[in-house]
Amino acid sequence: MPAVPQPSAFESRCNATYDALMWALSRPGLPRDLPPFDPDDLPAGLAHPAHAALIDALIDRECTVHCENPELARHAARSGAAPGTPRTADHLFLDGLATPDLLGDLRQGSDLHPEDGATLVLPARLGQGAPLRLSGPGVDGTLDVRLAGLPEGFWQTRARIMRYPMGFEVFLTDGARVLGLPRSTRVEVL
Amino acid sequence: MTLQSLTKDWEPMAYGFLDGSAKREIRRKMLKAISVPGCQMPYASREVPMARGWGTGGLQVSCTLVTPRTRIKVIDQGADDSVNAASIRKFLASVSGAPVTTDTLQADLIQSRHRIPEERLREDQVLVLQVPNPEPLRSVQPNMSIARQMHADADYGRMWLQLYEQIVRSGRVMQGASYPSLVNGRHVMTPSPIPRWDVPKLHMARHLTLLSAGREKRLHAVPPFTRVEPLVFDDVPYRVEDHAGLTCHRSGARGFFMNEIPQADGTSLHEVSDSDLGVKTIRAAEGEDTRIGATWYVDGEMS
Repeated sequence: MPAVPQPSAFESRCNATYDALMWALSRPGLPRDLPPFDPDDLPAGLAHPAHAALIDALIDRECTVHCENPELARHAARSGAAPGTPRTADHLFLDGLATPDLLGDLRQGSDLHPEDGATLVLPARLGQGAPLRLSGPGVDGTLDVRLAGLPEGFWQTRARIMRYPMGFEVFLTDGARVLGLPRSTRVEVL
Repeated sequence: MTLQSLTKDWEPMAYGFLDGSAKREIRRKMLKAISVPGCQMPYASREVPMARGWGTGGLQVSCTLVTPRTRIKVIDQGADDSVNAASIRKFLASVSGAPVTTDTLQADLIQSRHRIPEERLREDQVLVLQVPNPEPLRSVQPNMSIARQMHADADYGRMWLQLYEQIVRSGRVMQGASYPSLVNGRHVMTPSPIPRWDVPKLHMARHLTLLSAGREKRLHAVPPFTRVEPLVFDDVPYRVEDHAGLTCHRSGARGFFMNEIPQADGTSLHEVSDSDLGVKTIRAAEGEDTRIGATWYVDGEMS
């Protein structure tokens, strides 16, 4: 009987990172904890090291990635991913957003292939700021959350430009916590 | 950049059998599948040491999710001990070192062929269903490109027509398993060939369901708290199998989905299809300390 393979620290971290992302999208609005990571594993000097952990779990040479942070862009390039613009990238990692105008540039896929829609990863402050009411798949009735650090008009723009099943997914990171908002979630600004 | 930073240490086998790129692709596609419930997402479907059509889709999802702490349960038509279930469970344990169980309540990850356990699943559990044919429109539209366009247009008229024709010809809907169901009010999906009995268990469930077809290279998902409505006409209500009044001849369990066992004299006996529930019922009757969780059906009625 051959020995059972043991996961490396990298494999374990990627698996746990994905687990957090999967449950974050399955239960929109409920923050999940990303696994702790060894600072030596990730590039130094990143404002949002969680974004590098997401890249490790999801990104490889099949992806087109837009990273605002040049250090993060180098990390993404090491995975083999092609660099892209906000219009062409399937995964976007931003350090912040001043206006919601960028949302209009994001890939939304098509009715035939909704999976071509982009995934936007943004830092935000979870549990502070404007109250929002979420509803849709994954939400038991409605859920009230507070999110800060996003530009004025973000949710209105998101609702205006997405026509389900086309759209994009948003992951909001706050330190080692992540909150997911799939395109199927309705966000009401209270 | 050094050569060392571009490579990884040699391993005899990737953890969980699938290599990193296969896992990352399935992860990305699962995230999109969860975001558009019921919509079929294409994926590459790598080779696994099992013939396509025998649960390779479910196996790839399980291999991606598994960790050394994930407690795995595998069932085939409700049974933990059939060949398909036993071999997949053994394979998953041998490539991941994950503990296995037959108890629905203890499982973190349940891979299933064609049944949903009778005990209610919790919100931390993942159900992986093996799907032989993920395309609900195939019987009315064999061309998969046109079928995809029909999904894009939410053009499900032929689906309704098929159900109507069955009612006209036979007096009832003849679709036994894989009953077409509308997910989140938008995409019609096949819930994999689970019996009609199991479809209501997906509606507004607490657990996450991932459905993966390895041969057809597509996966779809039903997130928790998502509407899953079988296609029915207003005046012809949805009917589950008539098993509410049947009693398991081995365990005495009553009001659950049963297997029919034909006898030599032309009669038949029934046996509860969820083998773990049967075992637990027998143990409880013998006075052993077992815990049977809350079930979806109580006295044969969906609760």
